[in-house]
Amino acid sequence: MKRIIFCIILLFLSCVVNAQDVVTTTEQLIADIFEQYTAESEETIDYESFYDDLMFCAQNPINLNQTNREELEKLQFLSEIQVENILSYVYESGSMQTIYELQLVEGLDMTDIRRMLPFVRIGESDDSKKKIYWKDLVKYGKNELLFRLDKGLETKEGYQFLPNEDVNMPPTLANYLGNELYNSLKYRFHFKDRIQFGFSAEKDAGEQFWGNQNKGYDFYSFHAQFNNFGKFKTIVLGDFRANFGQGLVLHTEFGMGKSSYVLNVTPRSSGLKKYSSTDEYNFFRGGGATFKLGKLDLTAFYSNKMIDGDTVNGTFPTIIKTGYHRTLDELSKKQTVNQQIIGGNLTYTNMNLQIGFTAVHTSLDNKLVPDKSVYNYFYFSGSKQTTGGIFYRYRWKKLNLFGETAVTDKGSLATLNGCYFNPVSQVSLVVLQRYYSPEYDTFYASSFSATSRINNESGIYLGAEVRPFRRWKFAAYADNYRFPWPKYGIDAPSDGHDYLFQADFTAKRNLTMYWRLKYEENQTNLSGSTATMPEIVPQKKTSLRYQLVYSYLNFSFKNVLEGNLVRIAYADWTYGVIASQDVSYEFPKIPLKIDFRMQFFDAQNYLNRFYSYEKDVLYAFSIPMYYGLGSRYYLNLQYDVTKKLSVWFKIAQTVYADDRETLSSGNETISGNRKTDMRLLVKWEF
Amino acid sequence: MRKLVILFLINSFSAFCFSQISNTLPGSSAIAGTSVSDSRNWSAFNNPAMLGYIDKSEIGLQYNNQYLIPELSTKSVHFGLPSNLLNTGLSFSHFGYSRYHEMILGVGFARNFSDKFALGVQFNYYSAFFNATNSYRGALLPQIGLSVKFSPNFNIGFNTFNPFQSNIPTEFVIKRLPSVFSLGSEYFFSPELVWRTQIDKEVSSNYRFATGFEYQMLQNFKVKLGAYGSDYLVSCFGLGFKTGSFLIDLNCDLHPLLGVNTLAAIKYRF
Repeated sequence: MKRIIFCIILLFLSCVVNAQDVVTTTEQLIADIFEQYTAESEETIDYESFYDDLMFCAQNPINLNQTNREELEKLQFLSEIQVENILSYVYESGSMQTIYELQLVEGLDMTDIRRMLPFVRIGESDDSKKKIYWKDLVKYGKNELLFRLDKGLETKEGYQFLPNEDVNMPPTLANYLGNELYNSLKYRFHFKDRIQFGFSAEKDAGEQFWGNQNKGYDFYSFHAQFNNFGKFKTIVLGDFRANFGQGLVLHTEFGMGKSSYVLNVTPRSSGLKKYSSTDEYNFFRGGGATFKLGKLDLTAFYSNKMIDGDTVNGTFPTIIKTGYHRTLDELSKKQTVNQQIIGGNLTYTNMNLQIGFTAVHTSLDNKLVPDKSVYNYFYFSGSKQTTGGIFYRYRWKKLNLFGETAVTDKGSLATLNGCYFNPVSQVSLVVLQRYYSPEYDTFYASSFSATSRINNESGIYLGAEVRPFRRWKFAAYADNYRFPWPKYGIDAPSDGHDYLFQADFTAKRNLTMYWRLKYEENQTNLSGSTATMPEIVPQKKTSLRYQLVYSYLNFSFKNVLEGNLVRIAYADWTYGVIASQDVSYEFPKIPLKIDFRMQFFDAQNYLNRFYSYEKDVLYAFSIPMYYGLGSRYYLNLQYDVTKKLSVWFKIAQTVYADDRETLSSGNETISGNRKTDMRLLVKWEF
Repeated sequence: MRKLVILFLINSFSAFCFSQISNTLPGSSAIAGTSVSDSRNWSAFNNPAMLGYIDKSEIGLQYNNQYLIPELSTKSVHFGLPSNLLNTGLSFSHFGYSRYHEMILGVGFARNFSDKFALGVQFNYYSAFFNATNSYRGALLPQIGLSVKFSPNFNIGFNTFNPFQSNIPTEFVIKRLPSVFSLGSEYFFSPELVWRTQIDKEVSSNYRFATGFEYQMLQNFKVKLGAYGSDYLVSCFGLGFKTGSFLIDLNCDLHPLLGVNTLAAIKYRF
């Protein structure tokens, strides 16, 4: 009875907070979550998949009374502890009466709950295994067609002399064969969360669409996924991804790492899932299935696809993952290697324990032989590799232990072990130890690491999240790591330390801010050194960021101020500064949204560079890099022509004020100090 | 207390980052040039969002002299007209002398949204006289401004002049026009005492940090004290008078190397 009264009070309280929010749409919410993850990242991360997964959850909300860990882990912004606490609450209380009962779950504050709301629901019936009829497919299935065009306004060097312009001029290896347009076309269908299929086609800027070298799009992809059909938990056909355990053996998508979500450090074991993105490397092509046998999940899959490599005499030095086939030179390396992968997984899950075994065998028809250098001495060389690993997760009282240990057929080892701990509801802690031997080098591993590779590293990470007062949240991590063997750019064994402290303050529902202080210390080669023995010197970077987000009526604003200081060895400190002002407006009477940003940047040195997220057209996520002195501004529009037809348009320009006469290099060179990009996306739902 | 600490932190951070604004742009009667967040005073070619806060028509004249050299003076005039939908402003400034001078003509539009925030945009035509060719050349530049009132006592302002970094090309040279980004905050300790901070960055110049206090000692009289730092730390003093519908401001800056800058402004509110 007390619980019901409390729920009613919560329900009334929650009504108060319904009108104005800093984040107004699910699209924006997803972009904000992704930004938090990738703010510190310098890699290109597949936003499409991230967006797709969360948007799918928004369209098919998770029934909290019927859910399991696997489903909740799709909500990547929830920490392992929060997932555990939700499951535990539902288990202990029977079922939730209202969504606002989430406030009773330990470790969830209002910000977390607001983030969850678009993706969860409270329901009774479970129709996940009901029989599907054709008429339902036609009636309730949802189709989506997306068409996107990108174009740079300035002509780049690679397009200056198109072969068509002068028939007497043979195409050179270096010039782009196609035009400057980027284009993609996607079709998707889904029926609840049971059936999904679709295809994608993509042509990058510079790739030939129709000519003597290529006819049609450069990249095609097809996918189909069926969930909960008899004993089959999942069936995937066409292009798919596979993620098991903590990612030491298999993880083909965005992996967690160091971010301001300090507790979310390891990837989620999401099993087999369809692949609908346009990344031309990180996926499998073939089929797979997961059988459910009580508490056991048994997965098997097979992939056979062509990958890019500079193949000469049956060997190639590296796998080319860019997906660019714009010049004759790049085309000559297209799909020259056949890669076959066969793998499987067996996972046992009960309330407190999950344990699993993953094995994968990769076979190439040409031999991968890296150009030997000190740093890549231990990189994989050969045409066949087998990797196996055991992962576990065990809940014991308030401790959540997790880990994975993997070995390759050559006996090289990688292990990662950690523990989440929630001593009181306001405090959450995580500790993570990892050791990846220099010889451990696999094709599709992705997990917690100081660099993008899972090898040659050992370290300890500590993370803490504390909510001492109602409107404040403090998060911090400390990561100490060693590279026992030289790395690229570091010709000797080295070590490093990263520290982060972030304070979030939610002054009002429509006013939030945070301060983020980060310190990184690692080592790098001494520039210009002529010594025989490698000389490495310390490199230090301190950065401070302040972000303020507020909204009023249909306006929302965001201010970002960030500065950094970098020092190599005993040279002078160099600085970088970036500041931006965002204004967004959603028209009340017409279905039009506008985002405008004005940004100024001043990064003295390449090491002072910044990466800053900006709003974009649907399914695109921009984190441009800023180096030098200049400004950038953009205008992003979204117009819903009808309920089913929407159009996005973005124009952005960067202007440099540091007297540079050209931008970029090689084929991408632009004369002048301005770079302008336009994007158009049309979405039709039917 | 906690509120004060938060305000101080916001202020400190907003003061962390943004130049020696080009002398050719007119200054403002706000002490140390902290005009970007000056919610009680709109000045020509400063933050156009502040035009949104005017509730009476006004006309103003300003004379800004650098280092007591008449040739380095900027003269400006502005007129503001409020209305229900949009407030409209017209501004003109002139810098230099007969053989070399620069002029800016601006038309601005701004709106105050329920006294929570104001947005303003101004379209400026910047023209310069080139003696070598005995001709005028010019360029159209936008100026965008924003002011947000987080509470009746605290607001922040953002302004950018020539954000697209437009220049004036001539036969011989490219005349670089100032491109300025400014961010600042304003805090009222009481209705009589206001504290402002500001950071400016003109893309080709050093950062300029400025702060200042304005104190309304008597109903018709105020004193102003502040400083700004770019290459040198420059102290600033000022006085303000109010007589009927007239507002008069006198400011001076004491540059340690180059001497005194002076500014005199008179404004009439209808």
